[in-house]
Amino acid sequence: MSKADSPAQVVEFVRAARAGKAPFEIVAGGTRRNVGAPLRDLPLLDVSGLSGILKYEPEELIVTAQPATPLAEIASVLAEKNQRLGFDPADWSKLLKSNGVATLAGAASCDASGSGRLRHGGPRDSLLGFQAVNGLGESFRGGSKVVKNVTGFDLPKLMCGAYGTLSVLTEMTFRVYPKPQYAAILCLADVTVEDGFAALRRIARSALEPAGLAYLPARMMAEVGQGAALIKLEGAREPLEQKIALAHGLLGQAMQRIEEDPFPAIGSGEKFSDLTGDVWRVMIAPSDAPRVVKELNLSHWLGDWAGGVIWLAAAPSEAARIRKIAADAKGQAMLLRASVESRALHGLFAPQPPALAALNRAVKAAFDPLSLFNPGRL
Amino acid sequence: MLLPPTDSKIVARRAEIVAALREIVPDGVVADPSGLATFDTDALSAYHQMPLVCVLPSNREQVSAILKFAGAEGVPIVPRGAGTSLSGGALPREDGILIGMGRMKRILEIDYENGCVVVEPGVTNLNITKAVEANGFYYAPDPSSQIACTIGGNVAENSGGLHCLKYGLTTNNLLGVTMVLPGGEIVTLGGKSGAQGGLDLMGLVTGSEGLLGVVVEVVVKILRKAPVTRTLLASFDSVPAAGACVAAIIADGVVPAAMEFMDRPAAEAIESYNQPGYPAGAEAILIIDADGVEADVSHAVSRVIDIVAKCGGKTVEATDEKQRARIWSGRKAAFAAMGKLAPDMICMDGSIPRHALPSVLEEMAKLSQKHGLGFCNVFHAGDGNLHPLIIFDTMKPGEFERAEAFGADILRLCVKVGGVLSGEHGVGIEKRDLMTEQFTESDLEQQHRVKCAFDSQGLFNPGKVFPTLSACVEQGHIHVHGAQLPHPHLPRF
Repeated sequence: MSKADSPAQVVEFVRAARAGKAPFEIVAGGTRRNVGAPLRDLPLLDVSGLSGILKYEPEELIVTAQPATPLAEIASVLAEKNQRLGFDPADWSKLLKSNGVATLAGAASCDASGSGRLRHGGPRDSLLGFQAVNGLGESFRGGSKVVKNVTGFDLPKLMCGAYGTLSVLTEMTFRVYPKPQYAAILCLADVTVEDGFAALRRIARSALEPAGLAYLPARMMAEVGQGAALIKLEGAREPLEQKIALAHGLLGQAMQRIEEDPFPAIGSGEKFSDLTGDVWRVMIAPSDAPRVVKELNLSHWLGDWAGGVIWLAAAPSEAARIRKIAADAKGQAMLLRASVESRALHGLFAPQPPALAALNRAVKAAFDPLSLFNPGRL
Repeated sequence: MLLPPTDSKIVARRAEIVAALREIVPDGVVADPSGLATFDTDALSAYHQMPLVCVLPSNREQVSAILKFAGAEGVPIVPRGAGTSLSGGALPREDGILIGMGRMKRILEIDYENGCVVVEPGVTNLNITKAVEANGFYYAPDPSSQIACTIGGNVAENSGGLHCLKYGLTTNNLLGVTMVLPGGEIVTLGGKSGAQGGLDLMGLVTGSEGLLGVVVEVVVKILRKAPVTRTLLASFDSVPAAGACVAAIIADGVVPAAMEFMDRPAAEAIESYNQPGYPAGAEAILIIDADGVEADVSHAVSRVIDIVAKCGGKTVEATDEKQRARIWSGRKAAFAAMGKLAPDMICMDGSIPRHALPSVLEEMAKLSQKHGLGFCNVFHAGDGNLHPLIIFDTMKPGEFERAEAFGADILRLCVKVGGVLSGEHGVGIEKRDLMTEQFTESDLEQQHRVKCAFDSQGLFNPGKVFPTLSACVEQGHIHVHGAQLPHPHLPRF
């Protein structure tokens, strides 16, 4: 394993790898190494030393940090100024049984966003700029450090969800937002799948700006009858009370208020950490959720993002069926937690149509022509 | 501004190319000089160029066939929506096919359950909102040209507007894009689920200024209209006080739906133009919108009033919809109002860190003296997007050149303080030769390689966005003569 503690050392390492045509795996906090097609026996480039906030400007709503900065560190520094990261990063370490430390670059590279994606978008919506080293061993910059920029190609978008296959990130600038003062969780208990998701969609298309909308069947949450629709609202004290009243009015039903926020465990997959089998995230149009859930016919699942993502646990033998159901719904089934064999067999996502697959390969080659970085992971 | 040299061999084959396009789109080829003259510029109207031929496809199969033909024959392509680009993105080429997407203007599906609308690229930005507003929804990005500009053009330019601070740019309001690649292949990126199952190519394509392909279908998010919107007008005795107030509002945790800054010259010009009732004598004015549910808005408004007072400013609130509209009509007429001050003007579009505003304004005043030309400032203060307007008179020898040099100096200044060349108008040909001010050679080479991944022949919108070694003149910007803007009916902010 090699360690790079500065951008210059990353450049040096990549140039040597290029000269030797030697692919490698990029590791920061190490929590997401077992996601995506397995990288077997590759040398590691440990960038965990590239950690720490470089510049935080609360009044500009931006933070610039090194890629391996722990998510927890960012959250606590931002919280001191009553701010939070522009997206809701999901820490998958409990789901993946990892002892590592979830980092900024790990969350962005794996497009890992929690329940708050509904309201705040994903990492793609808040990564403003970055510095990275491409497969030619050249340091380059994409985007900027201002909140509004359309100059040149929007390369920050590409970095999010690339699973480290395009470049080695060395610096990232994110947008931040004010942190709401209060949050409330409302629970519509004992509702059917259809009624539960319908209630969530009604809130989703309201002006209440919900921060979380999930449906959990009885098996995933105790004492909620056949299932629960959970609604997270945020705001200053008075606006929050008004939003709660409006939510009640919209649904015309009594809801309990829950003290403990279940959304961190929902959005991070923690709810599935003790379940056996493979864990999937199936992303679909929200209104398809009840039908897709019925077709899946599995015992352990939940729906987040108002139905836009179905988390589920299933036996490895179910892979092809799950992929087919997702494809029929024009969605994407992402294999998040599975054995090395399953991941090698099924990949992170289903194969893309030929023209799109070719375009993805061409874009990858534009950054990393020798396929040095995390080859085949995505 | 130099464009890559015309390929005379292609021009010589014009008749053959026109005939081939007529095979593909029998009823949609414009080849006569008077018809083509309609398409010889966009909203960067200092530049004119007749296209080789203009083709107006009405479905994606035709687009695909056109691009396949262009690829096989090596003919450049310039995509065009409504031609409202402020940076010359749709400026034609003498040796290129101009592909106008205006006929593909069907709204294919309105899906309230999933909060989205599926449209063809030629649908105008405002028509999306119009299609859903009766049910209380709207499409959030609102570029000033929204009554004319198309969603395909918005995707190409990653268009912004007044409400980006809270609602984002085009890229944050898309779920899917279907496009035809150079060579004619059709790919769909995302969809109602928003998921792409691979690299975020939708994010890359958005804002790519017609360099990567032609958009043929878009899935946009729609939002519920906020039940309450309130508008405040804050006035200050000094520019730094207004700048500090903007920073204080943001730091307090308020996210206004819009926050606009005007300096005294801008406010005075607007006041004399359409009398929106801006306070006389103020050195700087802020217009602030708060939207949301009633209590959220009340909370934000009371915070803003407090903060403005602490910063030494005075606040007036619009008492009704009519007054709100009046306050905004002034801001939206800023361009036209400036046009009354001098025969010509150009509008710049840099973005800066907000804290740099006072120093940038001070520097700009010095640059104004250096170049001997007046200017004023309107500014999307919420997100740091500066629109300095430089006023001059083309009839006076040397003024046009001085105005362009002044503009380039302003953009260099934006980059120097940590900002960028373009916040929302795009690079196009206008800022192409300044790209090296913002990006290093390796930054630009990386972007070039991405371009090549899509368009290995370099046929798509050649001469736009990326500087070429042969080009050396800095110029461009929105050129306005005799207070006549290109698309004079459009407000410009």
